[in-house]
Amino acid sequence: MGTAVKADAESAAATPSLEPALARRRPRPSRRGPGRRTLPYTLIAPAAIVIFGVLAYPLGMLAWISFQHYGLKELIAHQGDWVGLQNYTTLLADPLFLRVVLVSVVFTLVNVGLTLLFSTLIALLMSKVSRVIRVLLASGLIFVWATPVIVAVDIWQWMFDYEFGVVNYLLTQMRVFGSLIHHNWFENTVQGFSVITVIVVWGAIPFVAITLYAALSQVPDDVLEAAEVDGANPWQVFWGVTAPMLKPIFLIVTSLSTIWDFQVFNQIYVLLNQRPSSNFFTIAIYSYRESFGVTQYGLGAAIAVVMVLVLIAVTYFYVRQTLQTVDLAT
Amino acid sequence: MHMRPTKPLLTALGAALVLVAAACSSGASNTNTPAETGPLTIWLMNGSAPQSVIDGVNADFKAKHPNVTVNVEIQQWSDVGTKLDTAFAGSNPPDVMELGNTLVAKYAAAGALQNISGKKSGYDNSGTWLQSLTDSCTLNSKLYCVPYYAGSRAVIYRKDLFAAAGVQPPDSLDGLLSVGQKLMAANSSDPNFSALYYPGKYWYAALPFVWDFGGDIATQSGGKWSGALNSSNSQQGLTTLNKLVTTLSKADKTGDEAKQDASFAQGHIAMIVANGWEVGVITDPKGGDPNLKDKLGAFPIPSHNAGQTAPVFLGGSDLGIAAKSKNQALANEWVGLLTGNKHMNEMATVGGVIPNSTSMLSLGTGINAVFYGAAKNSRFVPNSPNWASVENANIIPDMLVSIFTGKASIADATKAASDKITTTLNG
Repeated sequence: MGTAVKADAESAAATPSLEPALARRRPRPSRRGPGRRTLPYTLIAPAAIVIFGVLAYPLGMLAWISFQHYGLKELIAHQGDWVGLQNYTTLLADPLFLRVVLVSVVFTLVNVGLTLLFSTLIALLMSKVSRVIRVLLASGLIFVWATPVIVAVDIWQWMFDYEFGVVNYLLTQMRVFGSLIHHNWFENTVQGFSVITVIVVWGAIPFVAITLYAALSQVPDDVLEAAEVDGANPWQVFWGVTAPMLKPIFLIVTSLSTIWDFQVFNQIYVLLNQRPSSNFFTIAIYSYRESFGVTQYGLGAAIAVVMVLVLIAVTYFYVRQTLQTVDLAT
Repeated sequence: MHMRPTKPLLTALGAALVLVAAACSSGASNTNTPAETGPLTIWLMNGSAPQSVIDGVNADFKAKHPNVTVNVEIQQWSDVGTKLDTAFAGSNPPDVMELGNTLVAKYAAAGALQNISGKKSGYDNSGTWLQSLTDSCTLNSKLYCVPYYAGSRAVIYRKDLFAAAGVQPPDSLDGLLSVGQKLMAANSSDPNFSALYYPGKYWYAALPFVWDFGGDIATQSGGKWSGALNSSNSQQGLTTLNKLVTTLSKADKTGDEAKQDASFAQGHIAMIVANGWEVGVITDPKGGDPNLKDKLGAFPIPSHNAGQTAPVFLGGSDLGIAAKSKNQALANEWVGLLTGNKHMNEMATVGGVIPNSTSMLSLGTGINAVFYGAAKNSRFVPNSPNWASVENANIIPDMLVSIFTGKASIADATKAASDKITTTLNG
């Protein structure tokens, strides 16, 4: 997608001479009568129907249920009781919910930041090393990307295990922190979230790093050389030349990462044996717990709606920025 | 470019789909087959009935109803609640479902289960069913399921380690502590040694301590529940347990009991609180250590009153018939066979579980006799449709974790948990 943006921008810039020809041809289809005008709609209809079916309808149902008292009894009877905004007022009065939202936001900021930092460093490294090393690096990243989340989390869980974990063993062998045998990583919430962050960032790096590397390889060498000739140091080259050129890509991977990290579920749920204590709730887990654990589907739906709204608010900024950048380029 | 605005929506989709999956699971209704041809769908839980027992029940059933296909599907315990919710919500749920005894009230109250009060006398041993199991099947004086089997906990211990430390199974809680301390002293060279291995979230094993001192999870009066874990009696029990855990256990204070048998088989543990069937897991050649077979013994969890035993939580399963089942009579008959004399006997002798009737408690021999005996002094969780929510919200495990890790005082932790239990049960 990122490269497509660039390609569009480039082709638009590279083809001004064709403009008159295109302009001459353009009016023709519209002269063929109104029947022609319905064709585009007919063509996008299948896609529109699919998008409606898998997106609009479930979202609508979600919002609908969030205004109802919807417990197990209602689920079985397929009929909820309309309660208006009661689920939302309950949520806003719930200190746990406010805590969970705060935790999710901080967690997302930290994870997106770390993901982008390490991915950028890896992408820069990949563009500098020899071909063999680059292939090795890329293969390593692909393997991480290809590992199913549940499998990966199981392995991480085993590594951080309280009794048999290799992390505790190795840290003890290093003799830096003293004996960490029987150190419990999840007794302390911050330590626990650090472990979760490691797992989430580890899983997120491949996609972002490879995307950034692909974008980096599109930065023309002559521009970089020109900057160097003008006496810019590598730091200045990166911030003055490379980063601005990669801005659209950065915006896209940042917004995608924000979405992914804000709704992290599997990593925490599997890592904590499907019974995470409320210290480790993120908004997605809280929604799931309320819906499927405590069978308050209405309340769970309300949480999910809030999650969607927060995400839209957060990503709105990025999407707008991205669209502006593209507009400027074209 | 046109894709971009949909990206944030994709996220929403994830959340929405889960809910819709639940709401829409009632897809196409079954073709209207005559009741006599079934098929009959049965959900049993992993590890409940040995395959030989299932085959036997099906063979007996087939002899009477040769045209009916019976599909027995085995479900896993983890996250079974979600699966049951969606199954019951569908228009064509399985005809018979095995339900953990703490879950029945929730489904009965929601109208998911058939009221079988009128058929009770038709089942074998219905007069001598284990009281706790019958209670779990009863809501507002109506019977919604058939007691299937029970499980009760006792202490499994290593006879060889006890002999090496020169101690005997204790007969009081004070004795348990001093025996544990002697074991710790005798094994002080092993930094991983636990005299009593107790993972922090193991709430089933905490209840005997609460009950033994006269405490309870919640009490009911005038139709209202009030949490009782913060009563002074309950707190006394938890104080005793906390002392045992901090002195004798190296287990993960935030972990659950899922791995305790594997840990026990590693050899650094003298005692665990466990179900009878866990002996089989500990000595399993694949995941455990078969050499421990002759070294294992069991004794009931002792009371603080010397010579008595503490009441234990009676776990177990019941068999419910879905209210939406189109094969009520057949389902009823199948349940009757599995819970009847013939196959219950096999469940006890082959499966090693505690059968559903006091008339069969003599079937427990050897180490099993201890667990059968423990079932006689058993208690149950508050029998409320909302109990499942207390369980699924992890209120008691979270309380135990904060006590054992020292994050909260016993008074504060029990107060917080008790308030939540009160709200949830009355919700």
